[in-house]
Amino acid sequence: MTELAFDVRDVSYRYNQVAALGGLSMQVKRGERVALLGANGSGKSTLLRLLAGLCFPDRGEISFLGESLTEQRLQDEEFFFGFRRRVGLVFQNADVQLFSPSVFDELAFGPLQLRWPAQKIRERVGEVLRSMDIAHLQDRAPHRLSGGEKKRVALASVLVLDPEVLLLDEPSGALDPSSQARIVDFLVSCGNGSKTVIIATHDLDTLEDIADRCYVFANGRMAGEGTPLEVLHNVELLERAKLIRPHAHVHAHGEGAVQPHPHVHRHEGG
Amino acid sequence: MLPETMHIPDGYLSPSTCVSLAAAAAPFWYVALKRVKSALHARLIPLISLFAAFSFVIMMFNLPLPGGTTGHAVGMGVASIVLGPWASILAISIALTIQAVFFGDGGITAIGANCFNMAIVGSLVGYATYRMAAWRAGLGSARRVVAAGLAGYTAINVAALCAAIEFGIQPLLFRDASGAPLYAPYPLRIAIPAMMIGHLTLAGLAELVISSGMVAYLQRTDPGLLRLTAPNAPASDEPIRAAGDAMRLPTGRKLWLALAALLILTPLGILAVGSAWGEWSARDFSDPQARREIAAASHNQAPPPAAPRGLERLSSVWTAPLSRYAPSFIRGASFGYLVSAMVGVGLIIALALLLNWVLARLPAGAGRRRRKSFVEKTARGLLEATGQALFAEDMAATGGFLQRLDPRVKLIGIGALIAAAVAVHRLWVLAGILALGVALALASHIPMRLLAARVWLAVLAFTGAIALPAIFLTPGAAVWRLPLVEWQVTQQGLRSAGFLILRAETAATLSMLLILTTLWTRLLRALRYFRAPVVVVAILGMTYRYMFLFLATARDMFESRESRMVGVLEPADRRRMAAASAGVLLGKTLQVSGEVHLAMQARGFRGEIRLLDELQMRPNDWLRLAAFVGAATLAVWLGR
Repeated sequence: MTELAFDVRDVSYRYNQVAALGGLSMQVKRGERVALLGANGSGKSTLLRLLAGLCFPDRGEISFLGESLTEQRLQDEEFFFGFRRRVGLVFQNADVQLFSPSVFDELAFGPLQLRWPAQKIRERVGEVLRSMDIAHLQDRAPHRLSGGEKKRVALASVLVLDPEVLLLDEPSGALDPSSQARIVDFLVSCGNGSKTVIIATHDLDTLEDIADRCYVFANGRMAGEGTPLEVLHNVELLERAKLIRPHAHVHAHGEGAVQPHPHVHRHEGG
Repeated sequence: MLPETMHIPDGYLSPSTCVSLAAAAAPFWYVALKRVKSALHARLIPLISLFAAFSFVIMMFNLPLPGGTTGHAVGMGVASIVLGPWASILAISIALTIQAVFFGDGGITAIGANCFNMAIVGSLVGYATYRMAAWRAGLGSARRVVAAGLAGYTAINVAALCAAIEFGIQPLLFRDASGAPLYAPYPLRIAIPAMMIGHLTLAGLAELVISSGMVAYLQRTDPGLLRLTAPNAPASDEPIRAAGDAMRLPTGRKLWLALAALLILTPLGILAVGSAWGEWSARDFSDPQARREIAAASHNQAPPPAAPRGLERLSSVWTAPLSRYAPSFIRGASFGYLVSAMVGVGLIIALALLLNWVLARLPAGAGRRRRKSFVEKTARGLLEATGQALFAEDMAATGGFLQRLDPRVKLIGIGALIAAAVAVHRLWVLAGILALGVALALASHIPMRLLAARVWLAVLAFTGAIALPAIFLTPGAAVWRLPLVEWQVTQQGLRSAGFLILRAETAATLSMLLILTTLWTRLLRALRYFRAPVVVVAILGMTYRYMFLFLATARDMFESRESRMVGVLEPADRRRMAAASAGVLLGKTLQVSGEVHLAMQARGFRGEIRLLDELQMRPNDWLRLAAFVGAATLAVWLGR
């Protein structure tokens, strides 16, 4: 399993005249779980959209399974449907992802656009509803779902196509602990090499469970990479990427005993 | 008699008028859909849906106006400026449909008429006015802000004029055997000034404030969005004023001056359009040439041979104070109309100012309720709308008779009953349909208290106020004279008021049944079964879904402002705040719609939406459908 899922070479992207990514290179192997770490605005979300073929680099090249991913290439219907079927993106904001009137319709949207036959769609949607434990929600409208339920439905709406590559933007952001645990459990279950998973996150707690390798972003550039353990122990790198903040506080042992030392702080939301 | 909005309810227009207006609207919808369907405009589907949700929420804003009053805007000005005329037609039509179907705002049989007036005429007039007034001005120029205000003001007023004409031709064309008007009872001479006075002032001003405020907001945040409707603007986006610059909204005094200028110009504009509708005088009814013209303009229905006596009497009242002393050109009907419109508007303004002055001087407290601020009012309105929609969903999920019915049967069945209620010419048949509606409500466990409060009393308050003067104004056999003033109550007047109120009550009761017993998702699938265009069904679904998101966003915004508010805001600040809130919501609308489009693409959307067709009709469903349609047909036959 040494085939590359994504090969990103020297990619730059500007958004509204502001550089979001500047000369970024990265490789993701098939079946690998990769975490993209970085503070808000470091370019993680932009990279995921480039990988999903929703926008295209100003400079540099991205290839998927050895084939160059360009706007022109995606005009081709066969390639478009093939690519959409194999690469799924779960957006950070579930309100954006859930645009259909009901949970059932939401799950059926992808397969319908890819022109699956109606019977196959019903079967597959039912299957995913059960496996994600959301069958009881199938007639619910999105405005009747809790935050955790929305995230699960958003994930299910992508999983229904059974994509080889899963791109996740902050999948556990702003969730209560139990909802968060469900998502993490799912990501752990992808660890057998069955899926290529790329997760943008700034949640350092669960890193070891959900990723085999990490890329650390700072200001639209790659600041470092390594296994989760290597990255978590590289305090200097985490500080540079603004994922932790060194701060000083007074320990109550005598007058003026100020001891500056690094702390790991999680940054939620975004 | 100042309708706050111009959403025509059921029962005010005859079935033939409703059908004609829907038919007039159809080609515009067709062209608009064609344009949206082309793959190049794929991003328009989420954009239109979210814009419809946005304008729905904007219609709930209480906009503070000079003189301490508030008004509601429709938002057709903003929509046509940001989306262009065709997409705006769709967005506003969808917003109006959802209002009618879910909130009972505007009649179900009058959807075609309301869309024609507000969505089609409003969008086209708004767009044309904006393009002409802005001409080649830069995207960031102040001229565009003024042009937008003018566009909103003109659009709502021309739309109101259309509605007034539709009302005004009803008593000329549709009367029962005794001569009592069957629908809206007032002739053009009354309908036009009555509608226009409210719109030339409050509603027009609300539209002006929201349109100019939105364009000013976009100039500061994302001027590129104004590019679509400004192809003549200089190619290079000139620098927009530095951010943080307070939104340039006209102050109270400037608003008054602008309004005064518009008041003088608008009637002139109406007159310039020609002699058509509003200029019919009582004399035209006896002139054969004019009669032919009126008949041609009224879908070939011959007007009554004799001028309605009320029309004659009122036209003399209207021009009386001036005519004796004025030179001949001033005695012309056109000038009379212009002057009376301006006098009427002036009176309304004076009245509003007086009322405000009195209220401001009344002692606070002492059992008197504090006047609610517009922030509070809007926040409460938004909360109520969400609450009503959620309540309807809960109600629809219970197991009553109508709830268990197939949505297609219900849609057609109740639709047929509403159409029958609008069509019948006998009061007792109308009462019978209402009784049927109440029986259906009981079988569906709908609390009568709810119907009484949200339908019967509300309709009585609104339609009753409109129908009351008809008792005196309709010519016919006198049955009673009001002591002192000697106004005579006519039998025809009573019947006419009865028709209007009973029709409005019956149709509103039936619509409420549909709202309270049908799950939205199932209704959408029913629409697919009737071969409604996939794009329309998809847009309707998305609009409803994001309406909740925007209602919540707007509510949060107003509530957080309310909690930070100390003391009383200056009127200009209140307006700035309302426009800023609408601006933030517009920003969110555009941002979310862009993201939704990406999310759709990511799951294989290429511009052509596909939906799952489901639901099969069972024999039992056909049987029930036949029962509904049979009852409606029987009613029409009995009430012919």
